[in-house]
Amino acid sequence: MLRPATRPALAATRQVRQCAARFLSSPASPDTSSSSVNNASTTPRTNSTSPPPNSKSSSTNSKGKKPLTAEQREFLSSALRVNQAGELAATLIYTGQTPPLVTRDPSLRPLMKHMYDQEAAHLRTFNDLIYRHRVRPTALYPLWSVMASGLGWGTAMLGKEAAMACTEAVETEIGGHYNAQIRRLLEMVSEWEAEGYEVGAEFRDLINTLRRIRDEELEHLDHAVEHDAQKAEPHWLLTGVIRAGCRGAIWVSERV
Amino acid sequence: MRPSPTPLRRAARQILSSSFTTIRAAAPAHRSLSSITTTSTGSDCTCGNGRTTARRPQIQSNQNPQQQQQQRSSYHSYDHPSPPASFTPVEESILSAAYLHVPAHGFTSSALVAGARDAGYLDISPTILPEGAFTLIRYHLVKQREGLAARAREVFGGEGHVGAYKLGGLSEGEIKGRVEALMWKASREQGGYWTVAGAIMAQPSYVPPSLKELALLSDEILFLAGDSSVDPSWYTKRVSLSTIYAAAELFMTNDHSPEFMDTRAFLNRRLREVNEVGGVFRNMREWVGFTATAGVNVLRSKGVRI
Repeated sequence: MLRPATRPALAATRQVRQCAARFLSSPASPDTSSSSVNNASTTPRTNSTSPPPNSKSSSTNSKGKKPLTAEQREFLSSALRVNQAGELAATLIYTGQTPPLVTRDPSLRPLMKHMYDQEAAHLRTFNDLIYRHRVRPTALYPLWSVMASGLGWGTAMLGKEAAMACTEAVETEIGGHYNAQIRRLLEMVSEWEAEGYEVGAEFRDLINTLRRIRDEELEHLDHAVEHDAQKAEPHWLLTGVIRAGCRGAIWVSERV
Repeated sequence: MRPSPTPLRRAARQILSSSFTTIRAAAPAHRSLSSITTTSTGSDCTCGNGRTTARRPQIQSNQNPQQQQQQRSSYHSYDHPSPPASFTPVEESILSAAYLHVPAHGFTSSALVAGARDAGYLDISPTILPEGAFTLIRYHLVKQREGLAARAREVFGGEGHVGAYKLGGLSEGEIKGRVEALMWKASREQGGYWTVAGAIMAQPSYVPPSLKELALLSDEILFLAGDSSVDPSWYTKRVSLSTIYAAAELFMTNDHSPEFMDTRAFLNRRLREVNEVGGVFRNMREWVGFTATAGVNVLRSKGVRI
């Protein structure tokens, strides 16, 4: 008994999910997949997906690499900080969900393990980035740990559908959040390229890492929907509350 | 019974009572001042001799130095590094010239005036430095901190700043050893300047920038030592390191042992204490975690669906 697709709370979910599905079916063209989430990102994307590796550095009008402005550094700091907090929360949500879910339905064990392993890898990636770029980790680390564990365990206690609805809500928010970051980074890169500056490998790597992680998160969203996330009762309330909570946590983590 | 608190208190008392007079007297023979002379080789004052005619400085000084300072603690790019914008060029030229006068004049406005004259500016020009003599102290602290990477390279070899993040796999013990070595290096290079600067830094309006600089120094030490923790211990480590560093600096002001051996012993004792306290907390957490997991597992084995 799927909910009608016209329900507004679901529209965004479906859009992101369709993007993910399209991406998974055609991995050769990753950058058309998310353009439906935001069309504004199409132009910068084409600029940097096919980076001519040597042409920039060998061109004579190259001005070297432009130092980051204070505003850009601020953005990068808060982006890495909030990403680390988010991945920490994701690993703890899955850690909390797994035992109650698996005792009820052992067939979910491989899926939960797969999703947990991917989140743990993301967390390692961001821990490393935070350390390397000397960004302050979020001061509310213990608070997010407790809240995420509680959320994971609590939704799993409500049942499999609620747990999957939780995943659906969280991954929807996170997918959109990563997309916003990637868009901002691509704007930075295309500005540099327009002004004739070189772009360091650091930024190309960062953008590629964020894209890979975003696609994996959207894959989790797909798994959740396949496993009856939308049969949760009341689905609109669960996803609405969790998504609002996610947005609030992102807002706070970007600052504290 | 540790011997530390008494000398610490005595040192603090001495600072409060003596440093104002020390600054006024600006005795060149003072131990701490003479050791500053040895560290001031990095600054250059080549512009002083040729230009005797005073010219009006182009005053475009940034009126908010703390704002610039805060940039340094955010995202640190390797491919697109931002220049260390601690001081504007005019400030830099006056301060680097004035720094050479610190051994004779102390961290005072007369050192600033002499430095401005050497750099070819009018005597009035140090007024572009909103915090006066404190700016000179901050200049000293910033230069010492920025020089720490080079000294880390001397001590440990390797690539200093850029190489530090590649360290990754250092063991806990190695990191502690490196932290101790770097802290000692930092405070040894400072050579007890707190005797003269401590009183100014402790003035209420200068406490926040002083603490900020202390925090940046702790961050620098931990990063150069290869400490890669990014959980709440990121905060506790920096706070405890700052506290120990400040205590060691205070201790040093009253340390007359050769090569400041007593200060080094003091530093080691404080670091060991932090490790002990940290160990107690870790054990507590482990015990609580184990008990909680065991409790949940017992309930699960009884058929409770959690």
